[in-house]
Amino acid sequence: MRRVAVIGVGVTKFGKHDRTSAELFAEAAVEALTDAELPASAVQALYYGNVVGGETEKQLHTGPQAASVLGIPTVPTTRFETACASSHAAFRHAVMDIASGTSDVVLVGGAERVLNVTTEESTEYFAYASDARWEQTLGLTFPGVFALVARAHMARHGTTEAQMAAVAVKNHKHGTLNPKAQFQKEITVEQVLKSAMVADPLKLYDCCPFTDGGAAVVLASEEVARKARRPIWVLASAAASDWMLIGDKRDLSRVPATERAAAAAYRQAGLGPSDVDVVELHDCFTIAEIVATEGLGLFEPGAGGVAAERGWTSLGGKIPVNPSGGLKAKGHPIGATGAAQIAEIVTQLRGAADRRQVEGAKVGLTHTLGGNTATVLVSLFGRD
Amino acid sequence: MTEPALTQRRFFEKAGEGQLTAIRCGHCGELAIPPREFCPSCSHRRWEPVGLSGEGTIASYTIIRVAPRAHAGDVPYAIAAVQMKEGVSMLGRVVDVPLARLAVGLPVRFRPLVSSGGHTAVGFGPA
Repeated sequence: MRRVAVIGVGVTKFGKHDRTSAELFAEAAVEALTDAELPASAVQALYYGNVVGGETEKQLHTGPQAASVLGIPTVPTTRFETACASSHAAFRHAVMDIASGTSDVVLVGGAERVLNVTTEESTEYFAYASDARWEQTLGLTFPGVFALVARAHMARHGTTEAQMAAVAVKNHKHGTLNPKAQFQKEITVEQVLKSAMVADPLKLYDCCPFTDGGAAVVLASEEVARKARRPIWVLASAAASDWMLIGDKRDLSRVPATERAAAAAYRQAGLGPSDVDVVELHDCFTIAEIVATEGLGLFEPGAGGVAAERGWTSLGGKIPVNPSGGLKAKGHPIGATGAAQIAEIVTQLRGAADRRQVEGAKVGLTHTLGGNTATVLVSLFGRD
Repeated sequence: MTEPALTQRRFFEKAGEGQLTAIRCGHCGELAIPPREFCPSCSHRRWEPVGLSGEGTIASYTIIRVAPRAHAGDVPYAIAAVQMKEGVSMLGRVVDVPLARLAVGLPVRFRPLVSSGGHTAVGFGPA
């Protein structure tokens, strides 16, 4: 298998946009190709993530649409849908495309448009990622799924609402250092605890926002990457799945797919959790960050809440998590999120993250979770 | 090809009549909620339907306050993951239990929730 590198990254401003998801992706892709110093004609394939285009934009076949708007209509294009992990799943397949020798330069990315519909509509569309007959009929929502995880974690480990709030406070603080973040305002633990209840025990400030945005990364074979200015090597990219129904998950305080994907990624790279210097992980809800830090092996099971509260995951802490602001503050355009996390880790490993730079970062990790914890992707990155 | 031991449609028909039905693997004894072809424990396809008592305890719960459009009129409402006495778990709406009394470990009992359109959802009421 050939080595694969990321040689270009691009991300739109996250927030509300009046452009289509295809246009948002194309903006990010232009930035990524410019960063890679490659013409659009160099791209040999597009792997694309988009989730609720069929609902919010009445648009299927969003892969070729995105490629056409970018101006590369003839490259083979495939759209991936693994709920919120879609563009990270696209990334893993793009890595395999290059590693196998099929392509030398591949564009990966995703985009989402949701702020053109009401919160009630987007809440419904996101719930389509849970089972239609068994769970949607109950009125289960995504905050509801992670509220079940939170309540189980609290019962098992004594995790507190204040510890969950500490994750939101930390990620909002990091978001103030990221000019592309949706929220660039600090908040306090008290504000989180007093915010409106969405799905007990999760409150409004425990939840990431609905977001429009796009992200793109350019992948290249080693031969191409050696000519690039700042290649960042893909050390591993692993996926894991789990039962679809919440009822089939035996211990809701854990996300076994995170544990399995992390174990596979560490094995591929020959690294362990203590080798990782910076992490971008899937904090769709504050409890999701706590459980992910445990599942990735950064902290013991049950210690994730304490770690957040003590600042171990803050910039300057033991292992900085979500220096970009995470999904919580940077925003969560679901089809773009995986690619945006990869863009942040590449920027960190290049030493180009300005005020949010993790000093001396050599190894970075991205973790993206799909829907009801049934899909997880974990990738590892390193610099020369 | 053998017929499935229990289709999803049949599960909900029986649930609507008040009977929760699981499937048990005739090879290794694994208990599961249908529909399922292969046993995840031993990979055999020897399921037999088996009735559940309907008794369980809450493993986790939440109170939904921001709902999808179809359920907006119901808020606030409780959803719980319930561990059934026989070992399998199911998600359901909790009804007739004051929201302040919800707790992990609270005993509950299955009851069918039949919509005006005739569709059954899984519900749990006081034990």
